[in-house]
Amino acid sequence: MPHPDAISAASTSGGALLVVAIVLPIVGVLLALALGGRHAERVALALMPTLLAVAAAIALCVWRTGEIAQYVVGGWAPPLGVAFRADGLSAAMALTTGVVATAIALFARPAFATAPGGGETRGPLVFWTLLIAICGALNAIWFGGDLFTLYVALELLTFGAVPLVCLDGRPETIAAALRYLLFALFGSVLYLLGTVVLYGAYGTLDIVLLADRVRAVPISWIAAALMTAGLLAKTALFPLHLWLPPAHAGAPAAGSALLSALVVKGSFFLVVRLWFDVMPGLPDQAAAQILGALGASAIIFGSVLALRQARLKLLIAYSTVAQIGYLFFLFPLAPKSFVAASGAALAWSGVAWTGGILQMISHAVAKAAMFMAAGLLGEALGHDRIAGFGGVGRVLPMTVAAFALGGMSLMGLPPSGGFVAKWLLLTAAVAEGQWWWAVVILIGGLLAAGYVFRVLGPAFARSEAPITLRAPVSRQREAVVLALAVCALLLGFLPLKASELLEIGRPDTAEVAPR
Amino acid sequence: MTGEGALLALTLAVPLALLVSCLSPRQRQRAPALLALAPAPALVAAIACSGGMIVLPGALLGLTLALDAPGAMLLGVAALLWIAAGLYASATLRGAADAGRFAVWWLLTLTGSLGVFVAADLVGFYLVFAMVSLAAYGLVVHDGTPRARRAGSVYVALAVLGEAFLLMGFVLLAQATPGGSLLIRDGVAALPNSPWREATLALLMLGFGIKIGLIPFHVWMPLAYSAAPIPAAAVLSGAAVKAGVIGLIRFLPMQTALPDWGAALAAVGLASAFYGVAIGITQRNPKTVLAYSSISQMGVLAAVFGAGLATGDGGAALIAAFYAAHHVLVKGGLFLAVGVMTATGRRCAWQVLLPAAILALSLAGLPFTGGALAKLAIKTPLGSGLVGFLATLSAAGTTLLMLHYLRRLMTSVAMDDSRVAPATLALPWLVTAAAAVLAPWLLYVTVLGGGIADVLDLSALASAVWPILLGAVLAAALWRWGDRMPGLPAGDVVVAARPVAGLARAIAEGFEVADVSLRRWPVAGLLLLILAAGLGAALLAGH
Amino acid sequence: MTATTLFGLCGAALVGLGLFGVVVHPQPLRKILAFNLLGGGVFLLFGAIARRGAAAGMGADPVPQAMVITGIVVAFSATALAVALVLRLFEATGGASLNSDPPRTEPAAGPDG
Repeated sequence: MPHPDAISAASTSGGALLVVAIVLPIVGVLLALALGGRHAERVALALMPTLLAVAAAIALCVWRTGEIAQYVVGGWAPPLGVAFRADGLSAAMALTTGVVATAIALFARPAFATAPGGGETRGPLVFWTLLIAICGALNAIWFGGDLFTLYVALELLTFGAVPLVCLDGRPETIAAALRYLLFALFGSVLYLLGTVVLYGAYGTLDIVLLADRVRAVPISWIAAALMTAGLLAKTALFPLHLWLPPAHAGAPAAGSALLSALVVKGSFFLVVRLWFDVMPGLPDQAAAQILGALGASAIIFGSVLALRQARLKLLIAYSTVAQIGYLFFLFPLAPKSFVAASGAALAWSGVAWTGGILQMISHAVAKAAMFMAAGLLGEALGHDRIAGFGGVGRVLPMTVAAFALGGMSLMGLPPSGGFVAKWLLLTAAVAEGQWWWAVVILIGGLLAAGYVFRVLGPAFARSEAPITLRAPVSRQREAVVLALAVCALLLGFLPLKASELLEIGRPDTAEVAPR
Repeated sequence: MTGEGALLALTLAVPLALLVSCLSPRQRQRAPALLALAPAPALVAAIACSGGMIVLPGALLGLTLALDAPGAMLLGVAALLWIAAGLYASATLRGAADAGRFAVWWLLTLTGSLGVFVAADLVGFYLVFAMVSLAAYGLVVHDGTPRARRAGSVYVALAVLGEAFLLMGFVLLAQATPGGSLLIRDGVAALPNSPWREATLALLMLGFGIKIGLIPFHVWMPLAYSAAPIPAAAVLSGAAVKAGVIGLIRFLPMQTALPDWGAALAAVGLASAFYGVAIGITQRNPKTVLAYSSISQMGVLAAVFGAGLATGDGGAALIAAFYAAHHVLVKGGLFLAVGVMTATGRRCAWQVLLPAAILALSLAGLPFTGGALAKLAIKTPLGSGLVGFLATLSAAGTTLLMLHYLRRLMTSVAMDDSRVAPATLALPWLVTAAAAVLAPWLLYVTVLGGGIADVLDLSALASAVWPILLGAVLAAALWRWGDRMPGLPAGDVVVAARPVAGLARAIAEGFEVADVSLRRWPVAGLLLLILAAGLGAALLAGH
Repeated sequence: MTATTLFGLCGAALVGLGLFGVVVHPQPLRKILAFNLLGGGVFLLFGAIARRGAAAGMGADPVPQAMVITGIVVAFSATALAVALVLRLFEATGGASLNSDPPRTEPAAGPDG
């Protein structure tokens, strides 16, 4: 983040795009509610590619200038006013949101279509409106520049996500949605308590100003602990994962994809902002190791439980619990100055940073593809019991291939984004001398291979009885899912230069080795 | 791009192009007929360019292809085997319903198998190694029987385990390389001085050891090779397994003398060599016998590597590659012989049995065959001490095992006495057999720089013959009293995995119970508060 | 002890009560009430801080007041959503408790499983 003296009340040239990225979905929600019926679907389908284009424009602007894009609302500078900022990380996450949301929208079209001439039904209207709302809330999280705006955005995200869980109205999904909402509210109240403490101590909540004013006093640690714990509850890090499996498994396929891929990343993003931008001196080993240990437990626990599930969507949901654990290795392996064992400076610093963020992005893409594939399988076969999947690979090859490609990224097989992320995290763990995380990462990869093969093995095998499809599966939907899965693969081919995008806006805490 | 670079790129590009074309169902129908064409550029590349190198820009952290002498040798014979087995597979698949599916797995394994010989950077090597290991699963479970599925599960579990070890080893290797280069040769050059040398060597040896079937990780070989269809078993045991061999050639720092590691590797290798024989003679299925023979032969190879590592003998790599190249053709040919024999009646069985006998005994070092050259060549790195003697003794065990195999081969003859194998099956088999006899001579003279006179030397002849005679005597004893032996299941110690699996299941059930209690609201709520307090305490204490 | 400090301690007490209620009570409606209590405590803390800013000579600090208003709106929408879900759960199952999962019903033959 730039030095506070450099903050002017002016917005940068690309700043207006930030506002567009947030306001456009809000307008979209209003339009969808006002017009209703089939128009909600049309608004959503028009909006998703537009948001992707805006995100691409923001990324291009940040990449070219090499600096943070900023927009100061109303020209009032912080601490009185509110600023939106886009650094490399925000731009990357906005791009990911655009891609995944567009794919989900295309996938969900037939599932949530309103028949021409038919009246407006609750399900489709709510789904399309919430899709737009969640995209808007996510953009606000990626670009929010002060902690209170981020709180509001986080709450928007939760309120948009909760009804998605109980969209079909079954009692267990309503219970799951209620549990999700109450636990998330618990977490956000703790977060709010932390912001109160921070404001009381430093008089501002703007991230850049706070980074300048924060001191190593107990009040800062109390605030950090409260906010982190609250955000961990919303990210469902083990052992606070109670709400995630029933919620993500009970939602419709498109909803599960959205929830697992993007919504949980929103609260994780805030933890990253808190630790790396608000309190950059904070990564102290004890607390960071606690977060890492929780992540390691999440990996092992979630993977073992995923191996035990009988239903496909629950398996994928527990896999999300496990994969979230990988993200928390970012904290103990935080970019510090380090030099390779041979004495020569490494070619780039921030290995763990790139690895962690790439893991976040590739998991989002791969998990969305897997949930959508699971949805297609469930529709086609009429059930999602894994035991009944024998031989389905011959009947639905594209869907199973998409699931396999997503699974490849989860396992960390080359060529995929998950592999590159795993390689980078392992490299960082070895370089820092914290080899125990490396062991957990490898075990996690083995267990992931276990539960992916649990599904793929019977799917590729011959089936004794011929498989009858309950409902025909549209080629277009299969193509969308496969395209998204291929994106997860293509993330592994990103040139190294692309990681420089993520470096834009990082504080200079590390002694960066010359390139 | 030079011509050599283009050839190297084609080695991988042609099978990949064929694979991509299989996305359309119509092309997938035609693919089984084209299987033999895919490895052709690789054969040309192996003959034409040794020492070529090409870097594919940007992709995957920098993909580099290069070919050195051992790699070229193995690439050439592997491509030859893939072509022959591809002809055999095309013939057997004609008209089969799932031929297209088989072709897809075949092409994936082929790409990986050829790729490991040309990959020159860590990430690229890992990619093609993963390809050859995991795509082979589809070949193993092709028949769809429960036995095949079980074999596939054991195989893939061990393959994934080996890859995890390799990944960690590669990361350590890359970390110790100055300048952050990801080329294998840079990494291996820096390995002897690496601060993680012990861990890296252990991980690499474990990973490649699992691939070549060193005990106790050998259990997948008998299961997989007996479950796979004949052409698949031929390429898996012949060519795919050599991915581990080329890995050891490329990654072991044999320029440096590491006596402890070398001795350990040699010990495990010799143990495997004798273990394979001991269990192999209790098996009845000829494919399983061949699998145990592979375990034994790979053990001898590992002993060569170990001896080379112990003394810092850099030339051992080329010799090991020569030995492995001979094994590629012989083992592939012997598997094809099993298939041809099932289509041949008793009257013409000798037409199959005679070449098979030559090939089989060539493995034991029958004079004037390629095997004799191989056994002669490995005498140099093994030396004349205990290791050398044991290795020579293992030839006796190989003779025993191979004679047992020939006997079991006769039992798989077709019911109809007058049946003759069609030319489409017999031709690939005979080509492979001929190559197995002739190619080692060619390689010995051109690449190893030896002379025919070495073989005619009297002492060499004597030392080649006595193990065979010993083995023949033991085989006679086996025929006489063999019925009293226990019938061990294929995969022997894998049955010990059953109680371990039960323990794992119990632990997983414990996890499930823990999950149910963790997901109760009061527990989770309290944990959240404890977490907040704990984080606060940790932060306060740290400052 | 000034009035500001008293209000601050009150806020803290409310937060404590709210936390207790959220964690301990099994009925969702009580959890919602406890959450509102929590929110009230937090807003009271904001108010105390605003007043402290005033003591520094700024006039009542407007920023926390804005945050309290926004927070009230957020808490209100959260409560509304939660109460709606509780009502729906009650209609569907005849009871409203979060401690045990209701028996799983087979998914309806709808578009999404």
